[in-house]
Amino acid sequence: MLSERLQLKLFLEPTVVELEAIIPVFHRFIREQVVNELLIDVIDYSHVPDGPGVVLIGHSADYYVGAMDGKYGLVYSLKRGGPGASMRLEDSLRRLVNVARLLEQESGLKLRFQSGALGLRLTDRLHAPNDDLTFESAKTEVEQLFARVYGAQVAVERVREARGPLALGIRVAGSPSLEALLEKLGGPPAAYAAPSGWH
Amino acid sequence: MTVATTWKQMLAGRVREDWAREIDIYETQLELRKKGKIEEKLFAETRLRRGTYGQRYDNGQRHDGQRTQTLPFPSGELTKGPVTMWDAPGMQRIKIPFGKLSADQLDVLSELAEEYSDQILHVTTRQDIQLHFIHIEDTPDIMRRLAAVGITTREACGNAVRNVTACPYSGVCHTESFDVTPYANAITYFLMGHPDTQDFGRKFKIAFSGCKDEPCGLTNFHDAGAIAKTRVVDGELKRGFEYVVGGGLGAVPYPATLFDEFLPEEELFPVTQAICRVFARLGERDNRARARIKFLVKKLGIEEFKRLVLEERSKLRTDERWLSFLSDLHITDEKPLRAAGSLPAAPYPDGFEAWRKTNVRPQSQQGYSTAKVTLPLGDFTPAQGRALADIARRFTGDSMRATVEQNLMYRWVSDADLPAFYAEVARTGLGAAGADGITDVTSCPGTDTCKLGISSSRGLATELHKQLTVLGDTLAPAAQELHIKCSGCSNSCGQHHVADLGFLGVSRNMNGRRVPHFQLVIGGQYKNNAGAYGLAIGAIPSKHVPKAVKTLTDRFVNERQPTETFQAFVQRIGKKQIRKLVDELSIIPTYEQDPSYYSDWGDPREYTIGDLGVGECAGEVVPLVQVGLAGSEREVFEAQLLLDEGNSQGAAERAFSAMVQAAQALTREKNSFLGEGVDEIVREFRSHYYDTKLFFDPFSGGKFAHYFFRAYEHRGEASVSKDAAHQLIEEAQLFVEAAHQCYTRIAGALP
Ligand code: SF4
Repeated sequence: MLSERLQLKLFLEPTVVELEAIIPVFHRFIREQVVNELLIDVIDYSHVPDGPGVVLIGHSADYYVGAMDGKYGLVYSLKRGGPGASMRLEDSLRRLVNVARLLEQESGLKLRFQSGALGLRLTDRLHAPNDDLTFESAKTEVEQLFARVYGAQVAVERVREARGPLALGIRVAGSPSLEALLEKLGGPPAAYAAPSGWH
Repeated sequence: MTVATTWKQMLAGRVREDWAREIDIYETQLELRKKGKIEEKLFAETRLRRGTYGQRYDNGQRHDGQRTQTLPFPSGELTKGPVTMWDAPGMQRIKIPFGKLSADQLDVLSELAEEYSDQILHVTTRQDIQLHFIHIEDTPDIMRRLAAVGITTREACGNAVRNVTACPYSGVCHTESFDVTPYANAITYFLMGHPDTQDFGRKFKIAFSGCKDEPCGLTNFHDAGAIAKTRVVDGELKRGFEYVVGGGLGAVPYPATLFDEFLPEEELFPVTQAICRVFARLGERDNRARARIKFLVKKLGIEEFKRLVLEERSKLRTDERWLSFLSDLHITDEKPLRAAGSLPAAPYPDGFEAWRKTNVRPQSQQGYSTAKVTLPLGDFTPAQGRALADIARRFTGDSMRATVEQNLMYRWVSDADLPAFYAEVARTGLGAAGADGITDVTSCPGTDTCKLGISSSRGLATELHKQLTVLGDTLAPAAQELHIKCSGCSNSCGQHHVADLGFLGVSRNMNGRRVPHFQLVIGGQYKNNAGAYGLAIGAIPSKHVPKAVKTLTDRFVNERQPTETFQAFVQRIGKKQIRKLVDELSIIPTYEQDPSYYSDWGDPREYTIGDLGVGECAGEVVPLVQVGLAGSEREVFEAQLLLDEGNSQGAAERAFSAMVQAAQALTREKNSFLGEGVDEIVREFRSHYYDTKLFFDPFSGGKFAHYFFRAYEHRGEASVSKDAAHQLIEEAQLFVEAAHQCYTRIAGALP
């Protein structure tokens, strides 16, 4: 994936999401270093309609639980660093699935993700302009990765928003558990690369 | 064709040459800092002057509710300023002169929030836009992309002329003398980078207003304020400004002082330039806390200040720009996109009528209206930004203005389009009614992102917004018009001094733990360009603030006399009544009964370090200190009552006495033989707390102790003006607050 920044989203099963309840969970993720990456703070944007919701700010990536495009879900937003272009999408999926799984395990939240429905936005207009060429290349990469990880058929469509970043809707047949997906992806991710590998 | 691999290449030829060069230089400095070839202090000032700020936790430490953890940033010890880690997320402030935005600019701002920030664009109380959680290395590209649409971040922060603000209604208002937009526009670029504005000891803020009585320009709390005025001279109508100087909020607010009743438009630039020169030459440089121009004006007195400025003015070499802009005052005129019309007959979209009542105002041009989009806490998303830009393209053209109430205003909406316009705004999720009313709570960033925040002003604002919105139309009209403003600390960025109900973040030690509180500030006036400042009545635990708002608004609605303002109501019933309410609300359950009181709004981390014990010595001293500090708070309040009664002398004496009592309470811990004599208390306080820096806090240093020492030097002066007494009360309040903080540190309850 040439795009150096991206947002990958897993949608939640339709339910009433109590965003407020996410806040202490994210704080605990930081305190207990539950996720193998540098997490910094939690910000509550639940007052913004269709906003990012509750945001777990990290150094390389942020996580949002909100309804940015009108549908609730968890977004992994890669901002900098991470592995090279060839592993970027896979690593992002692995981190997203990992945190989604952790949220599902929070019994107080009662969240369930639809593992077969995802959204991808390439938030890097320099390296990934919203054009046909970029779409075709991203589509191929998505199809290959998801077919391998899910072992199922993948449908990718372009989601058009005027002047928005390139956005893709991804549907995969079946709905494997997040645990199974994570195992396919190699288990909980390791820490990001050492400082020299960061941009 | 070569493919652009950097934004610099991509935007080549689309950025003004001088701006492109400035950004290149900034980028080089950034690289040099990375290699350790620029000193960190110098780099900090460089980035600040480009609007690139630090944020909370940028020292690499964060308290997680149980203990302080180090944030292991990958760039290790590299810093971007003193105690500011290189990798720590920061804030980019983007100067939007007088808040005016085009659709293309809004698109680019949205792209930047989407790519580099946390998906939120934030409108500030000074018509800027801020992006948070930005990495320093992304800032050059952010600046290039902004520059390509005509926005520079130059001097958005640092000791410089900050964003020039102006009424968003300029040019379309019924009460204005004339449109101040071209003046605000021209002076922005005249002063930006001007050699006479580069050597200030502190920032300098300018505001324009089209008339005197309305609040839109808020000139009264600016370093320089220009209120449009006309006058007939030799039979000819001349334009000029009522020009005021030395206003400011901050820890101790100062109302601006009249500099010239009528400054002719030809003199606007040279006089402002001369003021900048005097400020640069004579303004305080060593003590940051006293470096704003308000202190210089106060020290010199307005007559002497004016004499120096006019003398400086007479020596200035003539600059053709002083007058050249006057030859084209229409340069900022806007052309409506759509023909004027009248409101179509019903049916209207759901919610339209309530929205029109509060968010729409007829322009001075028949058939057109302004319409405000209510942004919750000033926030909106990139997708909303693009949709709002499209609305401008469809209905109004490039005439949007960010407002000091943290909303977005459209001008030139044809009345015929209002229902369709509303329907589009509502589709973005931002169609709430109540712009600038009680539900539209203003807040600074507070503990969310600001390094200086003490309590969560945004958390409180969110909660108040939620609770008041639920009450919605059931709120009486008189209550709906009240203004609520919240600041996370005494720097007052939320402008709480000029609200009907202002809240200022503080903390208190209760039941052996630290508890977030807000000082209730009452008596501020928003009208008349922020005509009067409120004073603190007392501190309320954060979780009781919504109850305080409800009780006060209910009383106002039920007991007010017809047409009585909130200010007049407070004056009539007396602050003692309100203080009683504060006292009732100051009691909270123990931690064991309800731990939620010991966390802030929207942040479940414990506000105190729960595992820190209180030493035996502190255990003995705590009650004594607490009693003394409570007594000093009471005295500050009594000083206010005396001031309200017109007894300035008595108010000043009582305020000083409050400081003495607080100092005595603290000092007794170090010297149990301390007597009652003021000289002795001051001397001992100085030796135990000031000389040892025990009273200092990391951000303000010894500022609050200086208030005490100065009050001591000036005590017993023959005549005290009302303004001076007001100021002394503010200072006493801050000194007592600082004593609370100091005590908490001694007790071991602070990190
Ligand atoms: S008032 Fe204080 S907390 Fe709020 S933004 Fe200003 S400095 Fe920060």
